[in-house]
Amino acid sequence: MDTLNPKQRNFVVGLIIIGLMIIGFFGLRTARAFRQFHGHRPPPFDGEHVETDVSLIRDWMTVPFISRMYRVPPSILFEALKISEQGNKGKSLKQLNEEYYPQDEGIALEKVKAAISANQPQQIQGNPDTPVVPLTPTLPGSP
Amino acid sequence: MSDFLLTQIINYGAPLFAAFLFLGALGVPVGASVLVIAAGAFSQQGILDWVSTAILGLIGAVIGDAISFGIGFYAKDWVDRRLGRSPAWRNARSSFDSHAGLAIYLTRFLITALALPTNLIAGGSGIKFRRFMAYDSLGESTWIILYGGLGYLFGSQWELVSNFISNFGGLILGVVVLGGGVWLGFRRRRNSESESMDEKIPET
Repeated sequence: MDTLNPKQRNFVVGLIIIGLMIIGFFGLRTARAFRQFHGHRPPPFDGEHVETDVSLIRDWMTVPFISRMYRVPPSILFEALKISEQGNKGKSLKQLNEEYYPQDEGIALEKVKAAISANQPQQIQGNPDTPVVPLTPTLPGSP
Repeated sequence: MSDFLLTQIINYGAPLFAAFLFLGALGVPVGASVLVIAAGAFSQQGILDWVSTAILGLIGAVIGDAISFGIGFYAKDWVDRRLGRSPAWRNARSSFDSHAGLAIYLTRFLITALALPTNLIAGGSGIKFRRFMAYDSLGESTWIILYGGLGYLFGSQWELVSNFISNFGGLILGVVVLGGGVWLGFRRRRNSESESMDEKIPET
Protein backbone atom coordinates (compact mmCIF):
# COMPACT_ATOMS: atom_id res chain seq x y z
CA MET A 1 0.00 0.00 0.00
CA ASP A 2 3.10 2.20 -0.05
CA THR A 3 2.42 3.11 -3.68
CA LEU A 4 -0.98 4.63 -2.85
CA ASN A 5 -1.31 8.33 -2.26
CA PRO A 6 -2.39 9.30 1.30
CA LYS A 7 -6.00 9.96 0.28
CA GLN A 8 -6.34 6.56 -1.41
CA ARG A 9 -4.57 4.83 1.48
CA ASN A 10 -6.90 6.39 4.05
CA PHE A 11 -9.93 5.37 2.01
CA VAL A 12 -8.75 1.75 1.67
CA VAL A 13 -7.72 1.48 5.33
CA GLY A 14 -11.05 3.06 6.34
CA LEU A 15 -13.00 0.49 4.30
CA ILE A 16 -11.01 -2.38 5.82
CA ILE A 17 -11.51 -1.09 9.38
CA ILE A 18 -15.23 -0.47 8.86
CA GLY A 19 -15.58 -3.92 7.26
CA LEU A 20 -13.85 -5.58 10.23
CA MET A 21 -16.03 -3.66 12.70
CA ILE A 22 -19.23 -4.69 10.89
CA ILE A 23 -18.02 -8.32 10.74
CA GLY A 24 -17.20 -8.30 14.47
CA PHE A 25 -20.53 -6.75 15.47
CA PHE A 26 -22.78 -8.83 13.26
CA GLY A 27 -20.62 -11.95 13.60
CA LEU A 28 -21.29 -12.08 17.35
CA ARG A 29 -24.98 -11.35 16.88
CA THR A 30 -25.24 -13.97 14.11
CA ALA A 31 -23.56 -16.60 16.30
CA ARG A 32 -25.95 -15.82 19.15
CA ALA A 33 -28.98 -15.86 16.82
CA PHE A 34 -27.78 -19.15 15.31
CA ARG A 35 -27.55 -20.78 18.75
CA GLN A 36 -31.15 -19.75 19.50
CA PHE A 37 -32.34 -20.76 16.04
CA HIS A 38 -30.46 -24.07 16.01
CA GLY A 39 -32.23 -25.40 19.10
CA HIS A 40 -35.64 -25.05 17.48
CA ARG A 41 -37.28 -27.25 14.93
CA PRO A 42 -40.10 -26.08 12.71
CA PRO A 43 -43.53 -27.04 14.06
CA PRO A 44 -45.07 -30.21 12.57
CA PHE A 45 -46.40 -29.57 9.09
CA ASP A 46 -49.72 -31.39 9.38
CA GLY A 47 -51.98 -28.36 9.17
CA GLU A 48 -53.43 -29.14 12.59
CA HIS A 49 -50.66 -27.71 14.72
CA VAL A 50 -51.98 -25.28 17.30
CA GLU A 51 -49.59 -22.98 19.12
CA THR A 52 -49.48 -23.43 22.88
CA ASP A 53 -46.42 -21.38 23.85
CA VAL A 54 -47.83 -18.10 25.21
CA SER A 55 -44.35 -16.54 25.34
CA LEU A 56 -44.70 -16.02 21.56
CA ILE A 57 -47.52 -13.48 22.06
CA ARG A 58 -46.34 -9.95 21.23
CA ASP A 59 -47.96 -6.59 21.87
CA TRP A 60 -48.25 -5.79 18.13
CA MET A 61 -50.70 -8.68 17.73
CA THR A 62 -54.44 -8.09 17.60
CA VAL A 63 -56.98 -10.13 19.57
CA PRO A 64 -58.48 -11.87 16.48
CA PHE A 65 -54.95 -12.82 15.34
CA ILE A 66 -54.06 -14.30 18.75
CA SER A 67 -57.42 -16.01 18.87
CA ARG A 68 -56.72 -17.73 15.55
CA MET A 69 -53.14 -18.62 16.47
CA TYR A 70 -54.11 -20.28 19.79
CA ARG A 71 -57.63 -21.38 18.82
CA VAL A 72 -59.30 -19.59 21.70
CA PRO A 73 -62.50 -17.66 20.85
CA PRO A 74 -61.94 -13.87 20.67
CA SER A 75 -64.91 -13.27 22.98
CA ILE A 76 -62.98 -14.98 25.81
CA LEU A 77 -59.95 -12.74 25.24
CA PHE A 78 -62.04 -9.54 25.08
CA GLU A 79 -63.81 -10.68 28.23
CA ALA A 80 -60.44 -11.19 29.96
CA LEU A 81 -59.45 -7.66 28.92
CA LYS A 82 -62.86 -6.37 30.12
CA ILE A 83 -63.41 -4.47 26.88
CA SER A 84 -65.94 -4.64 24.07
CA GLU A 85 -65.19 -6.41 20.77
CA GLN A 86 -66.81 -3.52 18.93
CA GLY A 87 -64.20 -1.18 17.50
CA ASN A 88 -61.27 -3.00 19.10
CA LYS A 89 -60.72 -5.90 16.69
CA GLY A 90 -58.09 -4.11 14.62
CA LYS A 91 -56.14 -2.67 17.56
CA SER A 92 -52.91 -4.19 18.78
CA LEU A 93 -52.49 -5.20 22.42
CA LYS A 94 -50.21 -2.19 22.81
CA GLN A 95 -52.93 0.16 21.54
CA LEU A 96 -55.53 -1.50 23.79
CA ASN A 97 -53.17 -1.16 26.74
CA GLU A 98 -52.59 2.55 26.06
CA GLU A 99 -56.31 3.17 25.60
CA TYR A 100 -57.81 1.12 28.43
CA TYR A 101 -54.99 0.58 30.93
CA PRO A 102 -52.72 3.63 30.56
CA GLN A 103 -51.44 3.28 34.13
CA ASP A 104 -50.44 -0.42 33.83
CA GLU A 105 -47.87 -1.00 31.13
CA GLY A 106 -48.02 -4.49 29.60
CA ILE A 107 -51.12 -5.56 31.53
CA ALA A 108 -53.15 -6.30 28.38
CA LEU A 109 -50.44 -8.71 27.20
CA GLU A 110 -50.37 -10.46 30.59
CA LYS A 111 -54.17 -10.75 30.73
CA VAL A 112 -54.30 -12.28 27.25
CA LYS A 113 -51.51 -14.76 28.09
CA ALA A 114 -53.35 -15.80 31.25
CA ALA A 115 -56.65 -16.16 29.37
CA ILE A 116 -55.00 -18.30 26.67
CA SER A 117 -53.35 -20.56 29.24
CA ALA A 118 -56.64 -21.02 31.07
CA ASN A 119 -58.84 -21.54 28.03
CA GLN A 120 -56.96 -23.57 25.44
CA PRO A 121 -58.65 -26.89 24.71
CA GLN A 122 -57.32 -29.55 27.08
CA GLN A 123 -56.04 -31.92 24.37
CA ILE A 124 -53.88 -29.10 22.95
CA GLN A 125 -52.32 -28.20 26.28
CA GLY A 126 -51.42 -31.78 27.24
CA ASN A 127 -48.44 -33.84 26.16
CA PRO A 128 -48.88 -34.60 22.45
CA ASP A 129 -47.69 -38.17 23.07
CA THR A 130 -50.53 -38.95 25.45
CA PRO A 131 -53.71 -40.24 23.81
CA VAL A 132 -56.45 -37.66 23.47
CA VAL A 133 -59.64 -38.54 25.28
CA PRO A 134 -62.57 -38.20 22.87
CA LEU A 135 -65.12 -35.59 23.86
CA THR A 136 -68.09 -37.85 22.99
CA PRO A 137 -68.26 -41.18 24.82
CA THR A 138 -67.98 -44.27 22.62
CA LEU A 139 -70.44 -47.04 23.15
CA PRO A 140 -69.18 -50.61 23.64
CA GLY A 141 -69.14 -52.43 20.32
CA SER A 142 -69.06 -49.25 18.23
CA PRO A 143 -66.06 -48.84 15.86
CA MET B 1 -41.90 0.81 13.32
CA SER B 2 -41.91 -2.85 12.29
CA ASP B 3 -44.42 -3.67 15.04
CA PHE B 4 -46.87 -1.09 13.76
CA LEU B 5 -46.48 -2.38 10.19
CA LEU B 6 -47.03 -5.99 11.30
CA THR B 7 -50.30 -5.01 13.00
CA GLN B 8 -51.44 -3.27 9.81
CA ILE B 9 -50.53 -6.30 7.66
CA ILE B 10 -52.63 -8.66 9.79
CA ASN B 11 -55.49 -6.14 9.56
CA TYR B 12 -55.32 -5.21 5.86
CA GLY B 13 -53.53 -8.15 4.26
CA ALA B 14 -51.57 -8.61 1.04
CA PRO B 15 -52.21 -5.20 -0.66
CA LEU B 16 -50.69 -3.35 2.27
CA PHE B 17 -47.81 -5.84 2.41
CA ALA B 18 -47.12 -5.06 -1.26
CA ALA B 19 -47.27 -1.32 -0.54
CA PHE B 20 -44.67 -1.70 2.23
CA LEU B 21 -42.34 -3.67 -0.07
CA PHE B 22 -42.77 -0.92 -2.67
CA LEU B 23 -41.73 1.71 -0.10
CA GLY B 24 -38.85 -0.49 1.06
CA ALA B 25 -37.53 -0.70 -2.51
CA LEU B 26 -37.53 3.12 -2.58
CA GLY B 27 -35.35 3.23 0.52
CA VAL B 28 -38.00 3.81 3.21
CA PRO B 29 -36.77 1.83 6.27
CA VAL B 30 -39.73 -0.53 6.66
CA GLY B 31 -37.67 -3.65 7.49
CA ALA B 32 -38.85 -5.35 4.30
CA SER B 33 -37.06 -8.67 4.93
CA VAL B 34 -38.70 -8.97 8.36
CA LEU B 35 -42.08 -8.30 6.74
CA VAL B 36 -41.50 -11.00 4.10
CA ILE B 37 -40.61 -13.60 6.76
CA ALA B 38 -43.61 -12.52 8.86
CA ALA B 39 -45.92 -12.69 5.82
CA GLY B 40 -44.74 -16.27 5.24
CA ALA B 41 -45.64 -17.11 8.85
CA PHE B 42 -49.02 -15.36 8.57
CA SER B 43 -49.75 -17.41 5.45
CA GLN B 44 -49.02 -20.61 7.36
CA GLN B 45 -51.36 -19.44 10.13
CA GLY B 46 -54.13 -18.82 7.61
CA ILE B 47 -54.14 -15.02 8.03
CA LEU B 48 -52.88 -14.34 4.48
CA ASP B 49 -53.27 -16.25 1.24
CA TRP B 50 -49.71 -17.18 0.27
CA VAL B 51 -50.20 -17.04 -3.51
CA SER B 52 -51.72 -13.55 -3.68
CA THR B 53 -49.36 -12.29 -0.96
CA ALA B 54 -46.29 -13.52 -2.85
CA ILE B 55 -47.48 -12.16 -6.21
CA LEU B 56 -48.56 -8.74 -4.88
CA GLY B 57 -45.38 -8.48 -2.78
CA LEU B 58 -43.24 -9.26 -5.82
CA ILE B 59 -45.08 -6.65 -7.91
CA GLY B 60 -44.66 -4.01 -5.18
CA ALA B 61 -40.93 -4.67 -4.79
CA VAL B 62 -40.25 -4.77 -8.54
CA ILE B 63 -42.15 -1.50 -9.20
CA GLY B 64 -40.20 0.18 -6.38
CA ASP B 65 -36.93 -1.06 -7.88
CA ALA B 66 -37.95 0.15 -11.34
CA ILE B 67 -38.64 3.63 -9.95
CA SER B 68 -35.30 3.79 -8.13
CA PHE B 69 -33.61 2.61 -11.35
CA GLY B 70 -35.42 5.50 -13.09
CA ILE B 71 -34.12 7.97 -10.51
CA GLY B 72 -30.58 6.75 -11.21
CA PHE B 73 -31.22 6.99 -14.94
CA TYR B 74 -32.44 10.61 -14.83
CA ALA B 75 -29.74 11.64 -12.35
CA LYS B 76 -27.07 10.26 -14.70
CA ASP B 77 -26.32 13.61 -16.39
CA TRP B 78 -25.99 15.38 -13.06
CA VAL B 79 -23.63 12.66 -11.72
CA ASP B 80 -21.61 12.71 -14.98
CA ARG B 81 -21.17 16.47 -14.72
CA ARG B 82 -19.84 16.14 -11.19
CA LEU B 83 -17.86 12.89 -11.37
CA GLY B 84 -17.53 12.11 -15.08
CA ARG B 85 -13.88 13.17 -15.28
CA SER B 86 -12.84 11.13 -12.24
CA PRO B 87 -10.93 7.94 -13.24
CA ALA B 88 -12.15 6.29 -10.03
CA TRP B 89 -15.79 6.87 -11.04
CA ARG B 90 -15.13 5.58 -14.57
CA ASN B 91 -13.41 2.50 -13.11
CA ALA B 92 -16.27 1.89 -10.69
CA ARG B 93 -18.78 2.17 -13.53
CA SER B 94 -16.93 -0.23 -15.81
CA SER B 95 -16.50 -2.72 -12.91
CA PHE B 96 -20.23 -2.48 -12.23
CA ASP B 97 -21.08 -3.00 -15.89
CA SER B 98 -19.09 -6.23 -16.03
CA HIS B 99 -20.74 -7.67 -12.88
CA ALA B 100 -24.10 -5.89 -13.04
CA GLY B 101 -26.30 -8.98 -13.29
CA LEU B 102 -24.72 -10.70 -10.30
CA ALA B 103 -24.74 -7.47 -8.26
CA ILE B 104 -28.42 -6.85 -8.97
CA TYR B 105 -29.39 -10.46 -8.23
CA LEU B 106 -27.41 -10.81 -4.98
CA THR B 107 -28.43 -7.43 -3.54
CA ARG B 108 -32.11 -8.43 -3.76
CA PHE B 109 -31.85 -11.10 -1.05
CA LEU B 110 -28.31 -11.54 0.28
CA ILE B 111 -26.95 -8.00 0.76
CA THR B 112 -30.25 -6.14 0.89
CA ALA B 113 -28.65 -3.05 2.46
CA LEU B 114 -27.00 -2.41 -0.91
CA ALA B 115 -30.15 -2.89 -3.02
CA LEU B 116 -31.08 0.79 -3.35
CA PRO B 117 -27.54 2.04 -4.14
CA THR B 118 -27.29 -0.76 -6.72
CA ASN B 119 -30.56 0.37 -8.36
CA LEU B 120 -29.36 3.96 -8.53
CA ILE B 121 -25.95 2.98 -9.93
CA ALA B 122 -27.59 0.59 -12.41
CA GLY B 123 -29.90 3.36 -13.61
CA GLY B 124 -26.94 5.68 -14.18
CA SER B 125 -24.61 3.04 -15.62
CA GLY B 126 -26.25 2.58 -18.98
CA ILE B 127 -27.41 -1.00 -18.32
CA LYS B 128 -30.58 -1.76 -20.32
CA PHE B 129 -33.82 -1.49 -18.35
CA ARG B 130 -35.00 -4.87 -19.65
CA ARG B 131 -31.80 -6.54 -18.44
CA PHE B 132 -32.13 -4.84 -15.05
CA MET B 133 -35.72 -6.00 -14.71
CA ALA B 134 -34.81 -9.59 -15.59
CA TYR B 135 -32.17 -9.85 -12.85
CA ASP B 136 -34.28 -7.79 -10.46
CA SER B 137 -37.38 -9.99 -10.86
CA LEU B 138 -35.26 -13.11 -10.44
CA GLY B 139 -33.62 -11.74 -7.29
CA GLU B 140 -36.86 -10.47 -5.76
CA SER B 141 -38.53 -13.84 -6.48
CA THR B 142 -35.65 -15.62 -4.73
CA TRP B 143 -36.04 -13.22 -1.78
CA ILE B 144 -39.78 -13.79 -1.43
CA ILE B 145 -39.62 -17.56 -1.93
CA LEU B 146 -36.59 -18.05 0.37
CA TYR B 147 -37.51 -15.68 3.19
CA GLY B 148 -41.26 -16.17 2.91
CA GLY B 149 -40.70 -19.92 2.73
CA LEU B 150 -38.67 -19.89 5.95
CA GLY B 151 -41.41 -17.85 7.63
CA TYR B 152 -44.00 -20.34 6.37
CA LEU B 153 -41.92 -23.28 7.61
CA PHE B 154 -41.34 -21.88 11.09
CA GLY B 155 -44.81 -20.35 11.54
CA SER B 156 -45.22 -18.78 14.96
CA GLN B 157 -41.45 -19.09 15.60
CA TRP B 158 -40.64 -16.81 12.64
CA GLU B 159 -38.92 -14.22 14.85
CA LEU B 160 -36.02 -16.64 15.41
CA VAL B 161 -35.52 -16.91 11.63
CA SER B 162 -35.84 -13.15 11.21
CA ASN B 163 -33.29 -12.45 13.94
CA PHE B 164 -30.78 -14.85 12.38
CA ILE B 165 -31.28 -13.60 8.82
CA SER B 166 -31.06 -9.90 9.78
CA ASN B 167 -27.74 -10.44 11.54
CA PHE B 168 -26.41 -12.73 8.82
CA GLY B 169 -27.20 -10.03 6.25
CA GLY B 170 -25.17 -7.57 8.31
CA LEU B 171 -22.29 -10.05 8.46
CA ILE B 172 -22.32 -10.46 4.67
CA LEU B 173 -22.35 -6.67 4.29
CA GLY B 174 -19.22 -6.50 6.48
CA VAL B 175 -17.52 -9.16 4.33
CA VAL B 176 -18.39 -7.16 1.19
CA VAL B 177 -17.02 -3.89 2.67
CA LEU B 178 -13.82 -5.63 3.83
CA GLY B 179 -13.44 -7.44 0.50
CA GLY B 180 -14.03 -4.16 -1.35
CA GLY B 181 -11.31 -2.44 0.69
CA VAL B 182 -8.77 -5.24 0.13
CA TRP B 183 -9.60 -5.49 -3.60
CA LEU B 184 -9.36 -1.72 -4.05
CA GLY B 185 -6.03 -1.64 -2.21
CA PHE B 186 -4.51 -4.36 -4.41
CA ARG B 187 -5.94 -2.86 -7.60
CA ARG B 188 -4.68 0.65 -6.86
CA ARG B 189 -1.28 -0.73 -5.90
CA ARG B 190 -1.05 -2.79 -9.11
CA ASN B 191 -2.08 0.21 -11.21
CA SER B 192 0.48 2.44 -9.48
CA GLU B 193 3.21 -0.17 -9.97
CA SER B 194 2.43 -0.60 -13.68
CA GLU B 195 2.39 3.21 -14.11
CA SER B 196 5.84 3.50 -12.49
CA MET B 197 7.13 0.62 -14.69
CA ASP B 198 5.87 2.48 -17.80
CA GLU B 199 7.75 5.55 -16.70
CA LYS B 200 10.99 3.54 -16.28
CA ILE B 201 10.80 1.81 -19.73
CA PRO B 202 11.94 4.30 -22.38
CA GLU B 203 9.89 4.46 -25.56
CA THR B 204 11.59 2.92 -28.59
